[in-house]
Amino acid sequence: MNGRLTARDRLARLLSVIPWVTQQVDGARIDEIVERYAYPREQLLADLQDIVFFVGVHPFTPDCLIEIELGDDRVHIRYADWFSRPLRLTVEDQARLLTAGRSVLALTETDESDHEAASPLLRALAKLSIALGDEGSGAVDVRLGSAPGDTLGRLREAITEGRQVELEYYAYGRDELTHRRIDPGRLFSDQGNWYLSGWCHSADGERVFRVDRIKSMLVTAQSTEHTVIAGDTAFAPSGDDPRVQLRLKRDARWVIEQYPFESVDDRGDHLTVTMAVTASPWLERLLLRLGPAAELLAIDSPLDLELRRRAADRVLNRYH
Amino acid sequence: MDKLERLLNLTAALLNTDRPLTAEDLRARVGGYPDEKSSFRRTFERDKDDLRSMGVPLRVEVVPGIDPPIDGYRIDREEYAGGELHFEPDELAALNFATNLVRLDGDETALVKLGAAGGSPAKEQVGRVPFPDALATLISAAADRQAVSFIYNGAERTVEPWRLSFSRGHWYLSGWDRARAADRLYRVDRLGSDVTLAGEAVEPVGSIADPLDLRSWELGDGPAVEATVRVDPDQAAFAQHILGDVSLADDGSLTATLQVRNVEAFRSFVLSFLEHAEVIGPPQIRADFIAWLEAQT
Repeated sequence: MNGRLTARDRLARLLSVIPWVTQQVDGARIDEIVERYAYPREQLLADLQDIVFFVGVHPFTPDCLIEIELGDDRVHIRYADWFSRPLRLTVEDQARLLTAGRSVLALTETDESDHEAASPLLRALAKLSIALGDEGSGAVDVRLGSAPGDTLGRLREAITEGRQVELEYYAYGRDELTHRRIDPGRLFSDQGNWYLSGWCHSADGERVFRVDRIKSMLVTAQSTEHTVIAGDTAFAPSGDDPRVQLRLKRDARWVIEQYPFESVDDRGDHLTVTMAVTASPWLERLLLRLGPAAELLAIDSPLDLELRRRAADRVLNRYH
Repeated sequence: MDKLERLLNLTAALLNTDRPLTAEDLRARVGGYPDEKSSFRRTFERDKDDLRSMGVPLRVEVVPGIDPPIDGYRIDREEYAGGELHFEPDELAALNFATNLVRLDGDETALVKLGAAGGSPAKEQVGRVPFPDALATLISAAADRQAVSFIYNGAERTVEPWRLSFSRGHWYLSGWDRARAADRLYRVDRLGSDVTLAGEAVEPVGSIADPLDLRSWELGDGPAVEATVRVDPDQAAFAQHILGDVSLADDGSLTATLQVRNVEAFRSFVLSFLEHAEVIGPPQIRADFIAWLEAQT
């Protein structure tokens, strides 16, 4: 757990910590509270000593206060009758757990090695489903991404065995089919798509690939040479990429929800947005799709304001 | 007095009473509130919001025996502790594992409440899934067979929800649209209002085309029109991946006839292939497509 806890975060913890500690026969180990409730040790000690010590009900005479006894590594809590049971899970809490659990089930379906771990999960999800209602078991369905054929399975295997792969990969932004040799690093899902991060020998650097754009792949006998460090963001513009400034009608707002942008002016009846252009076909597609909803205000070289007209002409050539 | 201490005392006071307590009662009994009336009100309102947002079931009831009537507050202990949801240690570990493997956007307090928040995840995170505001309400309504109302495409809808599906980066709600007497699919991030509950569902739970296979041009209220698109060989494989069960011609190209309810979405799909795809028909859609592009030259 990183960062400071707010008063609300600490309250959420204490409403569970207090009943739990009171139920322990011989108090609770401080370390165990820290662990179970993701409560940073120093914060926990300070809160027990300076806050919980003074908690109670009117008129706050000693018999109306929680009794707390703080030792070196243990804490005892007594007479906290109002907090004898922990605060319930809300519907939102339950729905979130069910959603996370079902997402993981979708993973384990394709990953036999985790099948054993799925059974306590299945039991937990069954309980959550019942708590939510009669139709709880069918209420949520999560697909982390789609991938052609057995690509995901073969990539997993290549990662586990540390083998290089050869990809025939469609670079969507640049609109071209490329051939690459990759040291596969890891697979991750972001916003409903699967990505592979890895070391690209052709580019001599780390790259991220969308799995459903792999046209074909071959697992080689060669061992991987590079360790992939980061790579869990799908899109990383570089400082050198040209910038484009667009004026969008309000119903084209989805553009800033779907694509990373550098700045946006969201006042008035239009949006003015500045974005990095990693490759021109990406911008061509966006403009042609938006039509009158988008106006091209400014663009860095080597791109120019005629880009849209030329793209429209190229497509129209098919129809003449 | 520290805010945390005040919130704990407030919760204790509300749990410790059978009759509702007025705001003034609480100011006197809890302590730690500002003296000045309007700043007390503001602080008290914020405290109530904090408690409610954590799931504390704060009841507002008229205090008996006071004229004119005045609102009071209390927490019912049974309601506070909730139902019979109890997890075994291995189930808690599994939930902990799951929430570390796939992260949902937003605050995660459930595991803290369950005392299962600890442990560094053995396996790294493999996925991230958005969790829009309306989703929890919709999931619980689908689970509990409650109808919901919301604005969509500018119109008020009352829908009996069946299922919430996350696919291709978006959450979809499938269900029965009462006014249209038909099954429908909605993008959850395009709901134009909050979701309110609208009574018990009456129609049986059905199923709708799997959103994984459901393409944006099929999302619409209008009648379906058949439209044909041809994709060049170099990009046919990707089109095939999106369209599913479509075979390639001998030259490697792909020709598919689609059920289009949303012509704009169909146009966007074809344009995503730039000059590598072509609208074949019907003539009206093809002509509109050409006009759309000519307006941009």
